[in-house]
Amino acid sequence: MNSSSSRKGGIGRHLAATAFSFLGAAALVAPLAPAAHAADVTTIKVLNWEPGGAEYWKQLVAAFEKANPDIKVELETVPFDRYPEVQGPYIATKSGPDVMENNAGLELYDRRSAYAELPADVLEAGKELITYSGGCLNFDTSKSCYGLPFGYQGNVMYYNKKVLAEAGLDPANPPKTWDEMDAACAKIKSVGKTCLALGLSGIFPAYWDFPEVARNYLTEDDMRAMLTGDMPWTDPKMVNILKGLASITQKGWANASAPSITMLPDGADLFQSGNAAFAGTIISDAVNWAAFDKALGAENVGAMRWPTLVADAPLAGSFSGIESSVFGVSSWSDKKDAAFRFVKFMAGPENAELLTKVAGGISLYKNVDPSALPNSPALSQILEIIKKPTLHAGVILSGQEADALARGWQEVTLGQLSIEDWTARMQKALEQSPSKRKK
Amino acid sequence: MAAAQQLDQARPRARPQTERRMKRRELWLALAFIVPGIALAVLFKLVPLIRGFHLSLLETQGFEEPSFAGLENYRTMLDDPVFIGSFRNAAVAFATLPIWVLLPLVLAVLIFQRSPGWKFFRATFFLPYMIAPIVVGIMFRQILAPDGPLNALLRAIGLAPLAIAWLNGPNSALLSLTAVALWSFFGLGVLTYLSGLATISEDIIEAARLDGAGFWSLLLRIVMPLLKPVIGYWTVLCTSGILIWMFPLIYALTKGGPGNATTLPEYLVFTTTFQFMNRGLGAAIGMALFVFVAIVSAFVVRRMYAEGKAS
Amino acid sequence: MSQSQTLRRAGKRTGSAAAPGSRGIVRLVVTAALAMIAVVALYPLLFTILNSFKTRTGFAKNPLGLTSELTFDNYIETFNRMAVPRLFLNSVIATAGGLVLSTFAALLLAYAVTKLRFPGSNLVFLFIIAMLVIPSQVIIYPLYETILDLGFGSTYQGLILAYAAFGLPISTYLLAAYFRAIPDQLIEAARLDGAGEMRILFSIMLPIATPAIAALSILNFVWMWNDLLLPLVIMGGSDKKTLMVGVALLSGQYDVSIPLVSAGLVVALLPVMIVYLLFQRQILSGAVAGAVR
Repeated sequence: MNSSSSRKGGIGRHLAATAFSFLGAAALVAPLAPAAHAADVTTIKVLNWEPGGAEYWKQLVAAFEKANPDIKVELETVPFDRYPEVQGPYIATKSGPDVMENNAGLELYDRRSAYAELPADVLEAGKELITYSGGCLNFDTSKSCYGLPFGYQGNVMYYNKKVLAEAGLDPANPPKTWDEMDAACAKIKSVGKTCLALGLSGIFPAYWDFPEVARNYLTEDDMRAMLTGDMPWTDPKMVNILKGLASITQKGWANASAPSITMLPDGADLFQSGNAAFAGTIISDAVNWAAFDKALGAENVGAMRWPTLVADAPLAGSFSGIESSVFGVSSWSDKKDAAFRFVKFMAGPENAELLTKVAGGISLYKNVDPSALPNSPALSQILEIIKKPTLHAGVILSGQEADALARGWQEVTLGQLSIEDWTARMQKALEQSPSKRKK
Repeated sequence: MAAAQQLDQARPRARPQTERRMKRRELWLALAFIVPGIALAVLFKLVPLIRGFHLSLLETQGFEEPSFAGLENYRTMLDDPVFIGSFRNAAVAFATLPIWVLLPLVLAVLIFQRSPGWKFFRATFFLPYMIAPIVVGIMFRQILAPDGPLNALLRAIGLAPLAIAWLNGPNSALLSLTAVALWSFFGLGVLTYLSGLATISEDIIEAARLDGAGFWSLLLRIVMPLLKPVIGYWTVLCTSGILIWMFPLIYALTKGGPGNATTLPEYLVFTTTFQFMNRGLGAAIGMALFVFVAIVSAFVVRRMYAEGKAS
Repeated sequence: MSQSQTLRRAGKRTGSAAAPGSRGIVRLVVTAALAMIAVVALYPLLFTILNSFKTRTGFAKNPLGLTSELTFDNYIETFNRMAVPRLFLNSVIATAGGLVLSTFAALLLAYAVTKLRFPGSNLVFLFIIAMLVIPSQVIIYPLYETILDLGFGSTYQGLILAYAAFGLPISTYLLAAYFRAIPDQLIEAARLDGAGEMRILFSIMLPIATPAIAALSILNFVWMWNDLLLPLVIMGGSDKKTLMVGVALLSGQYDVSIPLVSAGLVVALLPVMIVYLLFQRQILSGAVAGAVR
């Protein structure tokens, strides 16, 4: 009996060791994995949402590594709508990627503590771009800059010429004002099609729809005031924007499913399937002229400015343009030199050509060879529209405001919320926005 | 068995000293056995919970350094109608719990009685449970679309007024969400009940049969009381299911909308923490959800404990 | 199974006790109801599979029914966009690791609290099952912080440990319930024969508890394989992300169509469906059946 008991004790100790080693072994294995690379090659980790698609990024990384043989790029790709939940913890714990992507504007400013300021030699690359202010504090290139953009982005309204013709409208003269749009929608609906493909869920109303109504009521100074939290939602101008948005759904332009679907993929699919006459989306990255040309045939796709509510408003004829996204170097990175080289490459001419050719994007680089551009009527229209840019009112909304805007619009559409209550909610969201609220 | 009897005789004769030594060895052994499990539970559940509570007392301005804020986050939370609404929504979802418990039970008894095709039905009913909730959510986004197959069916069988935009109405969206969750989980319930049914004793059923019990009285008076432990176990899974496993469905189907009609507390924790980057407030809502979950499932855990502990 | 024959007979007799003609009607109604629920259970799957073979225009023209122009392109595109074999491997590693670790820890725990006498054994059992009330949503952020502090961010270990911790309460509960039913005399006898505790656990208790282990393995496999939040947060977008994260990534991408997303969904659920087809008998009969009592 004694001997068997002592054996039990032995096994017990052995087990305790096993138990601890279970947690311990894992800890030992972890640091071994990255040590495999050759000593003279620096590996940088790039957190991104793959704007422009997988193929473009494959070629981009290959081109960069060819130009910089001593640097290896490891991509950490997260879908756009799940990006914050991955990036947030990295920033809070000051760990993770060396290079990160963020939307220009408030999204970047909110995270500026996580970025290293761009040194002068990297900023040089920015001067070759049409604009890079979205990577700098308050859209001001004389202040600190945290990242460089590469592509141009902004909102236009696409239309399906075939559907317009079917409804007895002139495809060469799409509606220019809110009233003309209303009349057009009535005709389009009478042939059983949706007038405006719309999805009110997620970030899209804030980024793709809000700026286009906002341009009718705001000046650039008003937008800067919004950015710093000095423009209350109770201001009549802001209330007018909400009223304008509400009228889109209240006039019945949009599909009935609008309150519960997202613009991607459902809303865009409605347009791409040929069942809708109009869709308000973007010029680069996706659901752009290239995608619609492919789905509907280039001859059927047109692009225009959103119809105006206030025709003589100063910005009514402008384009809400913005750097598509900016890349910067994380403040905690211990490979900053290599990381800055990647940021600089992103903004450079080689990437500009790749973006245009592979991704069908519109580069910010000043001297893109026009012959590299595909032949598309919609693209030609877009290249005209973007010549008169203004600030993009969407990227100056905080996460709270963007969310309240979408949810409020859904409820207004369903008749469950008044404009007054929507306004109050927007104001509350403003007061809860970390970088906007006044303490 | 012989050895066991031998032991029973041997026990009283063992000397107190040996007994004590044995007990000490058993204590060390037990300690070694419980360490891995305890370590997992402490490191990945208890520690995060405590850190979460600590975080809920901090003011987190975006990505700036947090500062101590006392109960400020809780005050903000209680003032927020969205927060209150999320718990109202959870209460509505909980009201459907009887269906979650009873529907699989009825199906299980029908299958158990070898209704024609029972093998096929058993296999088919379990299939949805195998599919990932995120996949289910994306699938049902199409099924429930205004011109999707569900409404096409309703129109085809002359129920056109019922063919509504399911995810548009505040009540219909919440109920659709719950129904999709039920679709995803009911098969597990059927299987769970079937396993319980297999253990019911013959005599009891025989007695009931002699009393001339019909299907429903068999179900209510015999099966349900006898399956109490199984029903209890299944209720645990459903309880946690409604509270924990709705997230991917909300994410794929409604994103909490329209408005906040389908925002459940777990989703609010997620959006507050990751979308609005207000980690302190997110943690406070998380703590409120934790208390809520604890209250709801405490009696279940107590029952599991009473069942599983040493008498 | 045999002692339950009576209930079945009871059910049949219930039918025969009624008027002779109504028995058939009852059966018909019951079968029709079961068949309807079966259609409800199967249709979304069939709908998704059908959509995955449609072209974009084909889907637009006829979203509900069959179309003449069927294509395999969506699957080719899915494989182009997601590194399917790698994602699959990642899912296998994470799920298998989580499964083995949580089962192992639960086995030791359940054995300790049911078969070893030590003060506070009930308290340990209570502590473990009480962890059931901490949902992952509540602690996801501090959990991730903790995993980063341990140096396990974007690693298999991080996800495996988290899976193991979240699978532990139910596993322990099921195994403890099973072990309780095994008479103590059996263990005492083995001890008298000189067997150590590990041998008792692994050569006596384990075989007896196989049904329980099979059951909790199925339960744990399904949720671990299908889970999205833990791998998404812990693995981020790294090359160690799981198949479910890959699907979420596909549907979150900019330029996707419903047929393409459908193909991605089919690819994601295919492994589980294959497991289901292969182990259908075990899953449906023995496994879960034996565990719950």
